Amino acid sequence: MTAPPADIPAHLPHRYPFLLVDRVLEREPGVRVVAEKLVTFGEPYLQGHFEDRPLVPGVLLLEMLAQAGGFLEAEPLRGAAIFLAGVQDARFKGPALPGDRLRLEVRADGAFAGMMKIRGTVSCDGRDLCTAALLVKRL
Amino acid sequence: MSDLKLRVKEMIIERLKLEGMTPDQIDDGAPLFGEGLGLDSIDALELVLGIEQVFSVKIEDEAAGLKAFKSVQALTDFIAEHAKA
Repeated sequence: MTAPPADIPAHLPHRYPFLLVDRVLEREPGVRVVAEKLVTFGEPYLQGHFEDRPLVPGVLLLEMLAQAGGFLEAEPLRGAAIFLAGVQDARFKGPALPGDRLRLEVRADGAFAGMMKIRGTVSCDGRDLCTAALLVKRL
Repeated sequence: MSDLKLRVKEMIIERLKLEGMTPDQIDDGAPLFGEGLGLDSIDALELVLGIEQVFSVKIEDEAAGLKAFKSVQALTDFIAEHAKA
């Protein structure tokens, strides 16, 4: 079952400066999500990371995958309905830079007793920048 | 030790990265969670995924998990009972 791309602020509780998904391209709840984050020089964290060489912190790439993973849920998330419980096998393969259109691809690996494992990749122009498995817990 | 029980213990050690532990150090009757091996809810999901991958047995819900994760012996019995012939 494919769901239409979601209204992002209606689905995720995150807000500026921490809403890190700009567009949902494909969405199959419980199975797979493809979303995008567009990086600009205006990102608040790039002011200090780093002044001479702006690049998106790796932990924020993981957060982007986690937020994209929120769209695996069929229903909108209210408040802190889901939290990050673990990160496994994270690999950072290249920098994400201002101007990049980041493709966030996540797939559900399995779930048990409110805990879900998702595998995700952040890529740009076909190059993988980050891959990781995330464990998320539903409250 | 039965062949299946040994494979169950090897799967637990590999999947949960219990480095340095050998199958004969895992007590057949000790609970997997809380006391005993002291596993947590992330480990539970890893085990569910591992059991599905290695033995093609699905643990559908928490009720089934409660039964299967009582001990290594209980898990071995659960897998033997539900594995496709």
